[in-house]
Amino acid sequence: MEPLFIFYIILGVVAYVVLCFMAKEPAPPHRNLLIVIYFSCLAVIVVAGLSTHWHIYFGWQEPIPLAFYAIYGFVACVFLIYFAKGLRLWLPKDLDYYDKKRRGRE
Amino acid sequence: MIEWLHPGLILIFGAFLIPLFKGKWRQAYLLLPPTAALITVILMFKGILGSSGSFWHIPFLHYTLILGRVDKLSLCFALIFTLSAFCMILYALKVESSMEHMASFFYVGSALGVVFAGDLFTLYIFWEIMAIASLLLVWFRKTDRARKAGFRYFMWHFFGGLCLLGGIIMYVINTGTIEFDYIGLGGMGGLASYFIFIGFILNAAVPPIHGWLPDAYPEATVTGAVFMSAFTTKSAVYILLRTFPGTDILIYIGAMMTVYPIFYAVLENNVRRVLAYSLINQVGFMLCGVGIGTPLAICGTVAHAFCHIIYKGLLFMSAGSVIQMTGKENCTDLGGLYKSMPFTTACCMIGAASISAFPGFSGFISKSMIIAEAAHLQLGIVWILLLLASAGVFHHAGVKVPYFTFFAKDSGIRTKDPPLNMCLGMGIGAFLCIFLGVYPQPLYNILPYDPIALGFMPYTGDHVVGQAQLLMFASLAFYVLIISGVYPPEQKKINLDSDWLLRIPGMRFVWFCERPLIAFANFIDRHVLRTAGAFKSSPGRAAVCEGWVDKFYHKELTSAPGVMYKGAVRLKTETGYLPWNLIYIFLSFFFFLLILLLWGVGMI
Repeated sequence: MEPLFIFYIILGVVAYVVLCFMAKEPAPPHRNLLIVIYFSCLAVIVVAGLSTHWHIYFGWQEPIPLAFYAIYGFVACVFLIYFAKGLRLWLPKDLDYYDKKRRGRE
Repeated sequence: MIEWLHPGLILIFGAFLIPLFKGKWRQAYLLLPPTAALITVILMFKGILGSSGSFWHIPFLHYTLILGRVDKLSLCFALIFTLSAFCMILYALKVESSMEHMASFFYVGSALGVVFAGDLFTLYIFWEIMAIASLLLVWFRKTDRARKAGFRYFMWHFFGGLCLLGGIIMYVINTGTIEFDYIGLGGMGGLASYFIFIGFILNAAVPPIHGWLPDAYPEATVTGAVFMSAFTTKSAVYILLRTFPGTDILIYIGAMMTVYPIFYAVLENNVRRVLAYSLINQVGFMLCGVGIGTPLAICGTVAHAFCHIIYKGLLFMSAGSVIQMTGKENCTDLGGLYKSMPFTTACCMIGAASISAFPGFSGFISKSMIIAEAAHLQLGIVWILLLLASAGVFHHAGVKVPYFTFFAKDSGIRTKDPPLNMCLGMGIGAFLCIFLGVYPQPLYNILPYDPIALGFMPYTGDHVVGQAQLLMFASLAFYVLIISGVYPPEQKKINLDSDWLLRIPGMRFVWFCERPLIAFANFIDRHVLRTAGAFKSSPGRAAVCEGWVDKFYHKELTSAPGVMYKGAVRLKTETGYLPWNLIYIFLSFFFFLLILLLWGVGMI
């Protein structure tokens, strides 16, 4: 494995661990430092994308700038959450939903 | 010199000795059969015990049952099954009930039986043992909810098992062979192949017939859920790899399966239910690989199943540790445990990083194979869906589970890491996740084909940076949404899913059978008997006959679903013995189909 990849792996792990700590409530005392670390990891991985040789699989991928995966990852997750929020309008039921249904019938 | 040994039967026979031991001796003994099974499989790899071919032939009717069909595919699955079984049994060492240990031994043993089965009958028998043993693992939780969920679990598998059995019988009559090999939809098997297919994909938890998985797994015992996370779905993947590789519809089923559970996982509050949904999502990746069916996709599927069993087991183990130590299983009640359970937190995060396929962790070196092959074959929509699911799985299993359990807010719970054996089980799993992620070559060597020779490299700039960008920006989305308060807060609610089918329409059906149908049947019976009695010139005798019929039918055996329902209601002890009526119905179906088979092959 190339040393550069090990660097990216560490970057990913750092961003992941930092995220868990910085999003928690109440905010940790050194939260600003964590935010700086987190966003620099993100910036580095975007810059790393500029120098990567991308394998373009599909024609429609080409016009999208070099950070295809970054943009897609962000957009996909925002979409997922909003969609799930939409589903929340009718999927969740009270804990005793089925019991009530049964008792109602008997 | 022994030619070959069945590792599954080592576990099954080993299970019978468990009640003979107590205390420390039992803990020592429990590790013996899985170790022996693991060593047997390793010896097969080394070629000391048969490393390919078929062994243990048993004549049955005029067929031959094959208990040991050994090739690269079955060996690979056998290795991961025995390896994970060892970790899981280590994790479960301190469970008091020897019955529960026996159930898990039977479960693992029958899963190995499925892996080595060389014909459809052997496959079916082990398949059913697996369903019943896993059912017991749910019922040993001994709560009311577990009892009900277990019953629904059994109904689903009862249905799947009958589809499979019917399909097998039809297949054998159509083709005259019981060989367990490529079947393919349509083709030689005709209609039979569709029945077999339904039986298999039910065990793979394909929506909408997945209701049993998120319903029953979170209700199982702490250790039972760990076992169940590994074997039922992955043996279905193995069987689909054998019988339906390259079936186009599986690509789309798989892609749909990766996306569908994500929304549920985001909304779900119960930690183990979130994991159950992400389990369906991961099996979707595998089915997609089975559907693509090229050598690289098959490698990807096997490798992904291998890694998946380890990290999913690890995640269920860490969730189980939390439940064991705190007694709570909902995201709303947990949080801030990282200070009191540092080791569990680390293990959970390693498992979460692996399931999200972070570069450097085990999911990455297997999942990227399937995604790369989908891209290579120009399956644009499937590729986009798989990437969406990769980002989504990071969201719910990667961040949500560790974040809401161990960070988020301080729930005020103070506890400590679980006992040593549980920590060791998790530790081995966590080590394997990192080891395979960093150094995948040993795994690649045992796959059915060599992915490197097929032109696949996991660690290229393209893969590593692409995946890192995808995941890190998915995490950014999580951060932004949680800070801005858009992220849907956890609610103490349940979500409607396809278990609704059994709970509402199913109950209505039972009601229909019990009330209007029985009333109608009574009416008919009485009138028929009365008429018959009048004809026989002795009305008194007719009344007696009527009494017998009443006694026999209307008290004992009302209607099949009615009996099943009553059987469930009567399960008062909650220890999970099978209702005898249910067994009776099941056996009668079994014998009916067996007679059909005998008739079909011209023996009667």
